[in-house]
Amino acid sequence: MNSRDIFRYSFQSIERSAGRTSLMLLAMAIGVAAVILLTGLGEAARRYVTNEFVSLGTNLVIVMPGKSETAGGAINASFTGSTRALTIEDAIATTRHANVVGVAPLVVGAATVQYSGLEREVPVYGATKDMLSIRKWRMAEGQFLSESDWTLATSICVIGSTVSEELFANSSPIGQWLRVGESRFRVIGVIGNTGTSMGVSTDEVVIVPVASAMTLFNTDSLFRLLVEANSRESIDSVRLFVSNTIKARHHGEEDVTVITQDAVLATFDDIFNVLTFAVAGIAAISLAVAGVLIMNVMLVAVSQRTAEVGLLKAVGAAPRQILAFFVAEAALLSLFGSLIGLGVGLAGSWIASRYFPSIDMRPPAWAVFAGVLVAIATGIAFGIIPAQRAAKLNPVEALAKAK
Amino acid sequence: MSQIELRNVQRIFSVGGEEVHALRDIDLKIGNGEYISLMGPSGSGKSTLLNLLGLLDRPSSGNYLLDGRDTTTLNDVEQAQARGGKIGFVFQSFHLVSRLTARENVELPLMLSGIPIAQRKSRVADLLAEMGLADRLDHRPDQLSGGQRQRVAIARATVTEPELILADEPTGNLDSKSGGEVIDILERLNANGKTLIVVTHDLDVGDRAHRKLKMVDGLLAKDLRSNAA
Repeated sequence: MNSRDIFRYSFQSIERSAGRTSLMLLAMAIGVAAVILLTGLGEAARRYVTNEFVSLGTNLVIVMPGKSETAGGAINASFTGSTRALTIEDAIATTRHANVVGVAPLVVGAATVQYSGLEREVPVYGATKDMLSIRKWRMAEGQFLSESDWTLATSICVIGSTVSEELFANSSPIGQWLRVGESRFRVIGVIGNTGTSMGVSTDEVVIVPVASAMTLFNTDSLFRLLVEANSRESIDSVRLFVSNTIKARHHGEEDVTVITQDAVLATFDDIFNVLTFAVAGIAAISLAVAGVLIMNVMLVAVSQRTAEVGLLKAVGAAPRQILAFFVAEAALLSLFGSLIGLGVGLAGSWIASRYFPSIDMRPPAWAVFAGVLVAIATGIAFGIIPAQRAAKLNPVEALAKAK
Repeated sequence: MSQIELRNVQRIFSVGGEEVHALRDIDLKIGNGEYISLMGPSGSGKSTLLNLLGLLDRPSSGNYLLDGRDTTTLNDVEQAQARGGKIGFVFQSFHLVSRLTARENVELPLMLSGIPIAQRKSRVADLLAEMGLADRLDHRPDQLSGGQRQRVAIARATVTEPELILADEPTGNLDSKSGGEVIDILERLNANGKTLIVVTHDLDVGDRAHRKLKMVDGLLAKDLRSNAA
């Protein structure tokens, strides 16, 4: 008897007992679909967070004014409590390093912008030329802030595409004068749609030179200072340089917080790896449940088909052949069940991605392969016990049971 | 050499801790092409004897020689091969696989012994045509009458060209007309040289055999040969 005959016989059994077959296919399909959807969800969460950070720019050293530390205690008490400003001069000082390819001081505020009677409340960024490359923004029209003296408060601005559409409708905003707060700025460019980054869409913002923003919001401190290193390897040396430079300029006091994006990303990566494995574990349990269900249904199938087994033995089937029939049947059921589950899982993640475009639920390839392979292996493994039971049946008793 | 030779065969079942002697010291020789009926009251051991002869069961002691070979030394696989090649079973309740068509049911023994599918198809079609079932090839058992089912079962029992046909109450579930047809077919097989052993309660059926064995309490009580053959 060749394997084609074995599979033909098993396939006929599957094909011609619809109730039992659909139950087992359902169990397997749910197991595999669960693996694909759950790991897809875990992966989507990881990708979402990673993207949020990468869209900030790569190889970044981020400086924030103020130091988080525990205040109090006898010795340190006199040094805490006041935060020194992070100034434009500090920012300029950090550009003087071979591995620094870009420095972007940032001031953030909100203001009312006005053009020919239309008003809109928008976030306003004070920035410099390097912000464009560091944040990977693209220009839709005109140009971005050019290289100039950072301490000069010039009256030019770059606007987001939504601001442009709302205030200027279909006409070009380039060269027009826009009122921002109490001052007037000439529009020199429009930023293209770059999606959302850390919750703020660039479509909504107005960007002015950093010194202009400090005047506008009457502040002497930057909100953030972004320093870009030329490579991942030089991040540490740049961080040290930035930290030391600002410390020296602040009379030896470490009153700023310097973090690297790398470290933050690595932490999140760790967290999401654990999360993905936890999700895979849950999925594995659902596969095991599917396997147990297959075993139970196969056991019922064997006892329902006792007479058939007896007959097969009477017409010359060896125990191994009976075993082969039932294992092949379990294998076919798991195969078809996993393929259905694969279809359902992929369709599910596709539909989810359609309705929630910001969440990319594509499952990782390893999860798809592992899910299907483990499902088939589970089905076969759990099919072996019932098959052995069938193979060991006493033919005389099996035949007697039929009546 | 006899086709079948039983020497001091015993079969003991233990039922609820008690030993039941289903067969006691059976000595029996059966030659090629004999037509034998095996009769006796319920529990006399005739089915047990038939199962032993069909290699579905093993004697508790004694020897069973089939074609001169001691079957008690065969392992499971060799027993299965012997069942598939040398022995054809016909059962009272037909034992057709309900989801398979007549053709597929008859194909089963050929499939198990590894005959290629093309050969199977033609042999099965010819055989079912001989049984008067040429237009029933693709019918399932539940679409066939009792007599038709038993003819499918006989086709299945003979498709591997066995030398020994064992029939356990072959007419037990049939009306007298289809029962008569089934006996006719079995006798035709015997006329072509196959050994035929029929277990039956039906005296008319039993009387047609050339050699009549009667069992009582696990013993062979009578062994009558008629000269009708």
